Amino acid sequence: MDSKDRSSTSLDHPLSRRQLLVGFLSAYTASLIPWAWAQEVPNEGQAAFMALSAIIAGRQTLNPELAKRIYEALDRSEQDFAARTQQLVALIEEQKIDPLQLQAILDKQYPQLAPIPRKLATAWFLGVVEVDGQAQAIAYEEALNAVFVADVLKPPSYCYGAYGSWAEPPIPNPNTQSEV
Amino acid sequence: MGWIQAVKRCVGGLMVLGLAWGGAGVVGAAPADPELIQRGEYLARVGDCVACHTAPGGPVFAGGLELPTPVGNIVATNITPSKTAGIGNYTLEQFDAAVRRGIRADGKPLYPAMPYPSYAKVTDEDIEAMYAYFMNAVEPVETRPPQTKLPFPFNIRYSMKLWNALFLDETPFQPDPSQGEEWNRGAYLVQGLTHCSTCHSPRNFLMAEDSSRDLAGGEVGPWHAPNITSDPVSGVGSWSLEEIVAYMKQGSIPKSQAAGPMAEAIDHSFQYMTDADLRAMAVYLKSVPPIAEDGVKKPVDSWGRAHADFASVRGKPWPENPDELNGPQLFDAYCAACHQASGQGTFDRQMPALYQNTATGRLQTNNLVMVILEGIHRVSQGYEVRMPGFAHELSDQQIATLSNYLMQAYGNPDGQTSAEQVANLRQGGPVSSSNLILLARAGMVVGLLVVLALVVWLVRRRRS
Amino acid sequence: MAENLSADFVVIGSGICGALAAYKLARAGASVIMLEAGPRVTRAQLLANFRNSPRRSDWMSPYPFSPWAPHPVYKPKDNGYLVQAGPYPYPAEYIRVVGGTTWHWAAHTWRYLPNDMRMQSLYGVGVDWPCTYDELDPFYQEAEEIMGVAGSAEEHPESPRSKPFPLEPVAEPWAMRRLRERLQPEYPVVGNTVARNSRTFGGRPACCGSNNCQPICPVDAQYHGGLAVDAAEAAGVRLIPNAVVYRLEHDERDRIVAAHYFDPDKQSYRVTGKTFIVAANGIESPKLLLLSTSERFPNGIANSRDMVGRHLMDHPSTSLTFDADEEVWLGRGPQSPSSINTLRDGPFRAEFSAYRLDFTNISRVDSTTQRLLLDGVYGPEFEKRLRYSAAREMNVKTVLEVLPRPENRITLSDRKDALGIPQPQVHYAIDAYTRGGAQDAKKHFTRIAELMGGTNLRFTPDDAFANNQHICGTLSMGNDPNTSVCDRYGRAHDHENLFFIGTGVLPTAGTCNSTLAAVAVGFWTVAHILEEQAGVPSGKRAATGAGAGT
Repeated sequence: MDSKDRSSTSLDHPLSRRQLLVGFLSAYTASLIPWAWAQEVPNEGQAAFMALSAIIAGRQTLNPELAKRIYEALDRSEQDFAARTQQLVALIEEQKIDPLQLQAILDKQYPQLAPIPRKLATAWFLGVVEVDGQAQAIAYEEALNAVFVADVLKPPSYCYGAYGSWAEPPIPNPNTQSEV
Repeated sequence: MGWIQAVKRCVGGLMVLGLAWGGAGVVGAAPADPELIQRGEYLARVGDCVACHTAPGGPVFAGGLELPTPVGNIVATNITPSKTAGIGNYTLEQFDAAVRRGIRADGKPLYPAMPYPSYAKVTDEDIEAMYAYFMNAVEPVETRPPQTKLPFPFNIRYSMKLWNALFLDETPFQPDPSQGEEWNRGAYLVQGLTHCSTCHSPRNFLMAEDSSRDLAGGEVGPWHAPNITSDPVSGVGSWSLEEIVAYMKQGSIPKSQAAGPMAEAIDHSFQYMTDADLRAMAVYLKSVPPIAEDGVKKPVDSWGRAHADFASVRGKPWPENPDELNGPQLFDAYCAACHQASGQGTFDRQMPALYQNTATGRLQTNNLVMVILEGIHRVSQGYEVRMPGFAHELSDQQIATLSNYLMQAYGNPDGQTSAEQVANLRQGGPVSSSNLILLARAGMVVGLLVVLALVVWLVRRRRS
Repeated sequence: MAENLSADFVVIGSGICGALAAYKLARAGASVIMLEAGPRVTRAQLLANFRNSPRRSDWMSPYPFSPWAPHPVYKPKDNGYLVQAGPYPYPAEYIRVVGGTTWHWAAHTWRYLPNDMRMQSLYGVGVDWPCTYDELDPFYQEAEEIMGVAGSAEEHPESPRSKPFPLEPVAEPWAMRRLRERLQPEYPVVGNTVARNSRTFGGRPACCGSNNCQPICPVDAQYHGGLAVDAAEAAGVRLIPNAVVYRLEHDERDRIVAAHYFDPDKQSYRVTGKTFIVAANGIESPKLLLLSTSERFPNGIANSRDMVGRHLMDHPSTSLTFDADEEVWLGRGPQSPSSINTLRDGPFRAEFSAYRLDFTNISRVDSTTQRLLLDGVYGPEFEKRLRYSAAREMNVKTVLEVLPRPENRITLSDRKDALGIPQPQVHYAIDAYTRGGAQDAKKHFTRIAELMGGTNLRFTPDDAFANNQHICGTLSMGNDPNTSVCDRYGRAHDHENLFFIGTGVLPTAGTCNSTLAAVAVGFWTVAHILEEQAGVPSGKRAATGAGAGT
């Protein structure tokens, strides 16, 4: 789509830009990510990416700015990323695959789709993507493995607190973990 | 250095006074009432005599600290009760004249590096107590620091008499019967011994404090002493009494941390004051007539929010030229470890948040730059605060970039910093860091210079 | 070139040992040139490199690799710099940059036990040192005072001291406290002695618990070689970075007269001096000596008896990982705070290796993430399992002693680096003595896990020993030139004006990290050199030491 097309789309069909993610999903996938009802996405490829991200991350909210960075990086480095991601989401829907079984099933039965969740998981959980064959850090503090424990632990290299503050017992409080 | 360590040794026991100052030496004068001596010691702390009259690492009160002024160094004198090198032969009257009127035992005026214009407010009773302390409980030190030698005409100490005639108000503090006891105690301390106005009041063209803008903010060498009037936006009017007391006691509250000369004042003086006295000062400060500053839109502690610009940093290589590092990259490498990735500070708030913090809320960015250059080192209430300085690691351009990013991301985006400003402050920094309050007092000497120039001009005009 | 490349002392290597020796010599008024193969680095850049690294658990990844001064790199794949001749792999890690490898370390600063220095007399294994613990005590103290070592003399009677630790012990992380409380009285868990600030010291702030001692402390709360270089340069030492020394030259009296180095463009330079100190670590130092062949020393400088590079030692580790029955959350505070020291000595040392039991406090988040990714754990289960392991996983490891054996050695390989310099080759084995210690430790591993209510016990396999990068022994000091490279003061047996400073000179490995001992012995060497050059008769030398000498 060239720029002229894009602008005419937004002018003439404003509604098409405001499709909700849920519109791209079917019942099973939507049940895994209830927030899809409120999420706007520009196209089917990104819809599949957001849906798969949410299924893999097991999170109802994802950092949209980081999502954009991850999508762009994977879209650039993976062949047919959008198409394969859509296939994968369709497969999950069709077979009602539990996220915990997903990788094993793909490794065994759908090797061509197997790298997709692994790359997505590595990007979201570890903040690392492979771009042009080179692993690259795309996130550290915002990577989900840091966010999931942020109520108790700082990402290494961030001071815990004043000298000796670590001698106190840890007080986990998952409700405050969004503080990076 | 030596003094910092001495302070550290005695901060453990609140008001365990005299431990670090030797205490034992009883010299000459008749034995005085121990309570009077103890009160005198407290008052000497309140007046922060040690800040100027002790050289870095040198014996306490033995003088020797050099104050650079445009016309030469003024050397702080030995005020231990040594009869040969100090003030051991001073009578109470001579001591009083020196402290409150700036007149030495030999009748010559002191340079107003000594804050006698403020000390003039001290009561007779308190002067007596301080005298008892200095004469009885301070260890005499028999070394005489080098004499102050200023070039003509400044070496004529009598020229100070003119300055005094113009600017010295010799009346001791007069309580205001319409105000309560606490307010009066606070006014007495603020106007007198703690000499807040020395730094926090702007100066007129003769370098005397501008009494019409009392406590509306002043300059202390490279540092800015902020407005501490009761104005809710420009001053401390929005601070609670508890916040003001905690700040003076610990040097740190979530929205403001003392650095530079204020950190010195807290380390040497305020942290030893009683809660009642600090509270009285806070009560008084909150009554000082408000003076609003131009261009200040909202309180300095109300700017900014948690923010991180990871997209500019993660996975991005550093530029070849370190001066081209962007703000987020500099923040990542130099600040974020302590102040955290979003500038939110640590769980325990001991490493403070950078937003809603006076450090990033001012239009005037000198203090922010000075803290980046020199860091903070403070020993208060039994714990120590050290923020490392980055003068040796960061260039002028890097500090300007970083400072502008901090203000934009966390503070008042109107507060700008240029590399030239950093270069100037960097040069003013090291000289001043030995004693910054003293540098402020040097301003008075500049005032003297102007007065003399005026006199010479008048005399010549008459002759012609 | 016009500049004068000549000094009283030429120090090769700018790691913590070389830089502190250079600092001492410069402070004594000598002119010193210090040559470093690698480039300068800054803490800020290393910190940024770490956070931007796609392999954050690979602690080498933040450190720049210089083709002209290569060091071993194993991830993402082995660069083959350190050639393995077997039978057991020895994947040593070190960093060739200004300041050396202590840029990243746990800052453990243990003193040896006095008995570690008398292994042959007491237990009939290993060797005795040519000097005594008491002789080294003042030099240990000096090193500790410069580095700012924190510790409790009460907790560490095993290494006696005549003066107190310069700093109070570092605050104990909660997880270590729980170990201490639950393991007593069976096992006394004590705080490690560390060059980590428990308060402001040396103008550096106290530890703030960032759990990033390795690969880089973000606030310089721990001492490292970069700080030693700063001190050396401030004292007047002239540092030349990117200077790859490839040959030492001697005269007809076997005195060293020059060090030759390449710059990154392979331009050669000749640096002359009166006294030479090789301080380029336990692998690069012997490599340089082996490279420096001549007609008179066909096997290399200081190597007339084929002792250079032999007796390579380190500290292999085995470990147990388990899940405690309570949430301890490793990762708050410094990475390596506590250990059990009761198994570091005893009559059993005649039979098998002594060891220290070391508890990690490294955050489990990164390692658990890697494991869960490998297992394909997605969805809400990931967060659940990550939090579970981050909160409960604990690890205890052995730090095992290795005996000095001549067959464990560094030689030159037939491979060459970018400048055409032969790469080092390592011959290494883990013998029955060390394996015996590892076997003995297993029952303690099990008991420790039991006391912590541990489940999911994961022992490392019997033949899997991790390496600790405490490269020592390859330039051993000793009284007998037939079994050692240098004398009790670190002077090469073969060359009057050549000294060695670094972990290579340590004749036994003991059960503790080698850096502090190497710095202390380095100070002892420097004191000897200065006294000798000031004309103090050698009989008086013991005056600065506390002991009577051998």
